[in-house]
Amino acid sequence: MGEPEKHRILMVSDFFYPNFGGVENHIYYLSQCLIKEGHKVVVMTHAYQNRSGVRYMTNGLKVYYVPWKPFLMQNTLPTFFGTLSITRTILIREKISLVHGHQAFSTLCHEALMHARTMGYKVVFTDHSLYGFSDVGSIHMNKVLQFTLADVTQAICVSHTSKENTVLRSGLPPEKVYVIPNAVDTAMFTPAPERLSRDEIVIVVISRLVYRKGADLLVEVIPEVCRLHPNVRFIVGGDGPKRVRLEEMREKHSLQDRVDMLGAVPHAKVRSVLITGHIFLNSSLTEAFCIAILEAASCGLLTVSTRVGGVPEVLPDDMVVLAAPDPTTMVHAITRAIYMLPQIDPQDMHNRMKKLYSWPDVARRTEIVYNRALKCSNPPLLDRLSRYLTCGTWAGKIFCIVMIVNFLLWHLLQLWKPDKDIEVVPDIQLPKSQHEETPLGSRKEENL
Amino acid sequence: MIQMEASISGSSSPTHPKWRKVVYGGMQPGFGDNHTDESFLEEMIMNANVVKRDLLKVVLDAVSISQYLCIVALVVLVWTYTLTNTLTEKYLLLLNVSLLGSGFFILLLTADMIPFNLLLNYLLKNTFFITALYMLSPIYHTLTRSISSNSIWALTASLLILHLFLHNYSGSTVKAPGALDNPTLTSNISLNASIVASLLISSRLPSRLHVFAIVLFSLQVFLFAPLVTYCVKKRSFKLHICFSLQLLVLTLVFTYQLHKLLFIVLLGIFVFVNLVCPYWLIRIQEYKFEINGPWDEAKLCFNITE
Repeated sequence: MGEPEKHRILMVSDFFYPNFGGVENHIYYLSQCLIKEGHKVVVMTHAYQNRSGVRYMTNGLKVYYVPWKPFLMQNTLPTFFGTLSITRTILIREKISLVHGHQAFSTLCHEALMHARTMGYKVVFTDHSLYGFSDVGSIHMNKVLQFTLADVTQAICVSHTSKENTVLRSGLPPEKVYVIPNAVDTAMFTPAPERLSRDEIVIVVISRLVYRKGADLLVEVIPEVCRLHPNVRFIVGGDGPKRVRLEEMREKHSLQDRVDMLGAVPHAKVRSVLITGHIFLNSSLTEAFCIAILEAASCGLLTVSTRVGGVPEVLPDDMVVLAAPDPTTMVHAITRAIYMLPQIDPQDMHNRMKKLYSWPDVARRTEIVYNRALKCSNPPLLDRLSRYLTCGTWAGKIFCIVMIVNFLLWHLLQLWKPDKDIEVVPDIQLPKSQHEETPLGSRKEENL
Repeated sequence: MIQMEASISGSSSPTHPKWRKVVYGGMQPGFGDNHTDESFLEEMIMNANVVKRDLLKVVLDAVSISQYLCIVALVVLVWTYTLTNTLTEKYLLLLNVSLLGSGFFILLLTADMIPFNLLLNYLLKNTFFITALYMLSPIYHTLTRSISSNSIWALTASLLILHLFLHNYSGSTVKAPGALDNPTLTSNISLNASIVASLLISSRLPSRLHVFAIVLFSLQVFLFAPLVTYCVKKRSFKLHICFSLQLLVLTLVFTYQLHKLLFIVLLGIFVFVNLVCPYWLIRIQEYKFEINGPWDEAKLCFNITE
């Protein structure tokens, strides 16, 4: 890997704690591991309710909650140039060397990457989701992604399917796109201390109960499985618009004593729910990676999942049973899983997961991408504009105009508030002893 | 952890294992994270759902559109003749009765069987409707008195254009008995636009009987003509084509008598809708580019009954 070069990285995304999900998790763990490797990491996100300003998290991870109001699904209003000033200030204050944006539908990420490129920073982008090509929403999103990725230095995807998708959507050369998966904190997701008895088999479902997560599939599958296997019980954790349908199903087939509906499960309690079951059922209709499967496997559960998106790449064949997303095959798969159960040793499963996935490995591989990104040449604005022009007959011209305006605004800002007037933050050295081998799981946060 | 590190640094192993499309187990020995395999995009399917279209079939399908254009043009012609007093209220009422009679007759002929009770129900409802309309016609007569005629013409024209744009040409907003699917929002807006247009026009007429006759006529056509033509089309496609051609000739003859320029415009529209547009559609098919692959959201193979 060459000389250990220390970077100063700015992670940008609309999605960060206190919000919870795959992206938030990824940013947090990646940042923690990078800090351990000796890099400096700063996170930039928008303000969550009254959480605005600068906060510090475990191991001195600094988070800027930019006072920018979200308007839809935790996304900020796209303003193109509105965030230029604050992005520039953060970049200079923290002496950032590289900007890393996350998630294709985060407006803040797109804007910050655009500003960073204007100012000549190297940028890396991680795509966490899959998009189709047919509906209006996707077509629009794909155009925006094309704009951001037209000039991105390197891109990262979480699975090979996601890479194919991103390359098709953005037209990036495939060798510029890296595949680095998510990981799971195996220290946090450990199996139950004692093996559960197999007299009664418990199938756990933890997901938001929405259409995209296949809640309708569950409505068809659960009664059929209960009919076929009298010793099976379901635990359904999660909330959402489709919860009513599941409850209806439970009433209709009188399964009140065999289907537990827990409602929303906070992430800290996920493990305690998982370890009460033998089989984890994932019914998603689309999934770029699916961290939930990893968490379940790490807790020693056998997974049954729909064969969609990047899911088939996530686990070895003997740890997961895959099925096409239709009720009959799903029921078959669950039956197969029930017969496989005696051969599954949760502790063994957990130990294998430890070898298959770890955040430090993800961080090391991301570092390689950073090193390559920093070695890339930085062409002048005029050369870069030609890349935008190829994005489309009309879109290309609009993108160019946006970039030129941004460039002018940046120079105006430099005149109005020169770089040397922006105070640079001194690096705080945390006492080393505290974080030598602490597990990453315990997330503490101090308000400053 | 140690094994993983070994696998990262162990890229110099003499036997290169095959690259696998998996993400577990750290970086694959011998391959970088940006390795692009030959199997890249192997599962991409292009233009899977594209239908090859036949020009003749598209032309014949487009006949439904021009047929409805004819119907609307004929309604506008009747409006014009009534406004210029060429058509008296007596003839108008006669036209109404004959339209209603022939409409029911066609429905009876084309539908396989309508139960007697349902028919009686229809007749009863129609009687109620016509009586109510008759009682309301004085109100309609004076409804838009205070608005200038120019505004009324402009509004009527734009409402009719809106009606034509949003009309559901493949079915009928008023459903045949036993139809399951609900009409869409756009087709409802379209229907309402046409009703408002006929009410606006009726307020420019000299007498209450005129108003009653013209509103009844317009409502009959706008509400039930799509249903009747739909039934005819379902019964026999040939009959549908014949019927449409007759309507087309009728419309063109009447328009020719009324106004030469209007005739040319109408003829142009018919040629455009029936010949140019189908040809255009076939031509732009080659630009169709549809991509499907494993990243698509899975479609459920059963119906969700909320």
